[in-house]
Amino acid sequence: MFKRLTPRLIIIVIAIAIAGILLYPSVRYETMSSQEKEQLRQEGQLADLESKIIRRGLDLQGGIHLVLEVDVPTLVYNIAKNKSQLFEDVFQSSKSQVSAEVRFLEVFENEADARELRLVRYFPDRGIQNSEIVSSLQDEANDAVRRALEIIRNRVDQFGVSEPTIQKVGNRRIIVELAGIEDPSRARDLIQTTALLEFKMLKTPEVTDATIRKIDQVLRRDKGELAEAISAEDTAGASEDTVITEGEVAEDEAVSVNQLFGDVEETDTADTEDSTVVVDKQVFEEKPFTAMLRNVQGQIGVPKKNKNAVERILKMKKVQEVIPPDAEFLWSAGTEILPTQGGGASEFHLLYLVNKEAGLTGGVVTDAQATLGGAGGQAAGQPVVYVDMNAAGSKTWSRLTGANIGRRVAIVLDNKIHMAPTIRSKISQGSTMIEGMANLEEAKDIAIVLRAGALPAPVDIIEERTVGPSLGSDSIQKGTTATIIGLILVLIFMAFYYKLSGLIADFALVLNLVFILAILAALHATLTLPGIAGLILTVGLSVDANVLIFDRIREELRKGKTVRAAIDSGYGNALRTIIDANVTTILAALVLMQFGTGPIKGFAVVLFWGIVSSMFTAIFVTRTVYQMFTENKTVQKLSI
Amino acid sequence: MELFAEANYKILEKRKITTIVSLVLIFLGLVSIIFHNGLRLGIDFEGGTLMQLQFENQVEVSDVRSALQNVGHGNASIQQFGAPNEIIIRVLRLEEQEGIEASEEIKSSLSQYFPENPFEVRRLEQVGPKIGSELRGAAVLAILSALLGIVLYISIRFEFKFAIAAIIALIHDILITLGVFSVLNLEITLSIIAAFLTIVGYSLNDTIVVFDRVRENLKSLRREKYFNIVNLSINQSLSRTVVTSVTTFIVVFILWLGGGEVIQDFAFALIIGVVIGTYSSIYVASPVIVEWEARSEGKGRLAKKR
Repeated sequence: MFKRLTPRLIIIVIAIAIAGILLYPSVRYETMSSQEKEQLRQEGQLADLESKIIRRGLDLQGGIHLVLEVDVPTLVYNIAKNKSQLFEDVFQSSKSQVSAEVRFLEVFENEADARELRLVRYFPDRGIQNSEIVSSLQDEANDAVRRALEIIRNRVDQFGVSEPTIQKVGNRRIIVELAGIEDPSRARDLIQTTALLEFKMLKTPEVTDATIRKIDQVLRRDKGELAEAISAEDTAGASEDTVITEGEVAEDEAVSVNQLFGDVEETDTADTEDSTVVVDKQVFEEKPFTAMLRNVQGQIGVPKKNKNAVERILKMKKVQEVIPPDAEFLWSAGTEILPTQGGGASEFHLLYLVNKEAGLTGGVVTDAQATLGGAGGQAAGQPVVYVDMNAAGSKTWSRLTGANIGRRVAIVLDNKIHMAPTIRSKISQGSTMIEGMANLEEAKDIAIVLRAGALPAPVDIIEERTVGPSLGSDSIQKGTTATIIGLILVLIFMAFYYKLSGLIADFALVLNLVFILAILAALHATLTLPGIAGLILTVGLSVDANVLIFDRIREELRKGKTVRAAIDSGYGNALRTIIDANVTTILAALVLMQFGTGPIKGFAVVLFWGIVSSMFTAIFVTRTVYQMFTENKTVQKLSI
Repeated sequence: MELFAEANYKILEKRKITTIVSLVLIFLGLVSIIFHNGLRLGIDFEGGTLMQLQFENQVEVSDVRSALQNVGHGNASIQQFGAPNEIIIRVLRLEEQEGIEASEEIKSSLSQYFPENPFEVRRLEQVGPKIGSELRGAAVLAILSALLGIVLYISIRFEFKFAIAAIIALIHDILITLGVFSVLNLEITLSIIAAFLTIVGYSLNDTIVVFDRVRENLKSLRREKYFNIVNLSINQSLSRTVVTSVTTFIVVFILWLGGGEVIQDFAFALIIGVVIGTYSSIYVASPVIVEWEARSEGKGRLAKKR
């Protein structure tokens, strides 16, 4: 390279200066207090500073790393209309064949063709041929991923995390990385929740009663007793309490589920909770289903213990047949806790029978705000979410409420009912209030997802790595300590073994570390725990280049060459070796960078730049130092 | 201070013994892998859930197991990790959503079981089977690419037979390291694979330094026997080999001691790699070249006679 001393010195000085400039933001950031950071944030300058520092990996600052995959089968299922039995069969069969290599839509098309299922019946307006339709579905799936990305980004933005990473990977996956999260399950829920808001009318009490009675009959029949003719309903003029026996919890009896269902197929969970349900003894024989329910302030309550059994009953095919085809049962989002006789408290889930079709969906929401209900209002002091709608939504809402005064409407979020108020009057301003959240935090989260929008399809979390903040700071501390101790030991060793030359090598070594960190800062790269290990490893490896050179010099001196000649010869011979030897480690680092993710990639980046930088410091910098000493004098003996 | 200034040890002459030692080590490792503990793949490759929990006070593994049995995970692997109040729970081979449910169930069961002893989830990792199989594939592909790149590079810079010698040395290193991991029943995770690749790079580093000397000496000492040239080359690089190995060993050892439990296995793999890698450069790669040359010399002499 440059033979003369002066340009070399200039280059080195400039390099050090640049390194200093690059590292200054990181040094400043690490030594700033939280107040100073807050002040910068207010001035709008914090993000700028943060873009120049070496980032801390999740494993060093704590945080959550999620890989989400859009559930394409469910998306397709939801889009399909008028599903027939054949469709269901083809769908299920396709779904079961999905794997890492096999994509759902491919299998679906093959199965549909094989079983002669004409998709045009179920997916109108997408073409005639199956292949056209599948192609259109494919586009929709890709689009769904893009929309999901946007929606998740909106949700995360409102979470207020600094520098979140939200990226699409491939066709179906999204990576989300949030640093410094205190509560990973909250973050997970926020991201994963579909957030589908729907307004569904409740069925009238009469219809609900009738349905429950029919279920009673189904169960009785199934228990092997005499079938009863479905007698004419005697609900004429009945009060709303005909649903369940009057408040008294008479004689509750614990009935085993086996007794209830007769022969029950194997359940795969070892649930000890499920094996008994609590029923009202008086009614049990005649109305087995009703007996599992309770009257909770005029609504259908299901004691917590009975929930699973009730769910199972509702899923039975024979029961599904007696539920009106345009209706479905939905659970409440939370539970009611009521004091019972005898001083305890019981927890109830509420059950509702609603229209399947939603009168209004969340697409019309323009804004949602969480707050505590105002004094004097219905929900004074309780967390509520105020929802604003757009023009189309307001119109529909107005029509819906106007036509159904006196009836109840359920506010459904992700198929759970938050509240079912009675419509007292027509609402024309296009706003509504949702209650029924457990606390203000939950209300805030609901407001966030309502504002961001509903996910077009569910997302599965296929990988999650979460590091708590305490482990993060522990790891930094231990990693840094190990690096410093290792460094000191090597520095001492080099000085001891190569004397003055060893000190020169030491100087190069420290410079090397500074350069590596500066490069990381320039790249705005992420330092992970393996990355710190990489730093330490580089300390060991970068010594190598110097050792090669110095050993050569010693050899040449032994052969009798003059000091200057020995130095020249030493550097000359060693150069080739250094390059060859380091290339392989660089190769390994490149492979790791290509295939690695997260922490491992961090390691590879440090390793790569560490070796590159060490070559520079060993070859260029130390040579320059020698030149400084030997330039104008004739040195007799070299301290090496 | 200078070590090995005019080194002239009869290094290569010991190669029969060392080859036997190498083969024994590899054999023992393979036995362990096939018959004994096998290779313990972590959740990165099998799918599953890993939780690292720190309790306020000491906990007994058996108690934790009872708590897990309540939610159907009595079979999970439970280990003390570092301190008596810190444990790691591993549940392998779960489906995606199952993993998340499992971790929530485990958390609530532990809260109920140890009401006086609150805990913090320091680390949570969940890998679905899909990702697991993908990572397996990626790891294998990474190692193969690295090996391929190396063969190409060395063949270009030196000779093909040097490349093969290097690869043999590398395979030797990897097999022994895997063997040690199997015997000690240590988990193979993504970071261990990264360590392996680093070992590959580092071991080669050593090997190439020797090869470089051999190449240089071959040019300048044409009259000498091949065997002696290689032996001399090793001796000449001995100082450097030892010094670099010692410095690298020091730093990796410090990392293993004080870097924390998270990085401990990774550091351990590197330690094995440094030791074995140095050894293999001298006693595996070089003997291979020598033997190879001896065979082809034999053929060469035959050819000349005709």
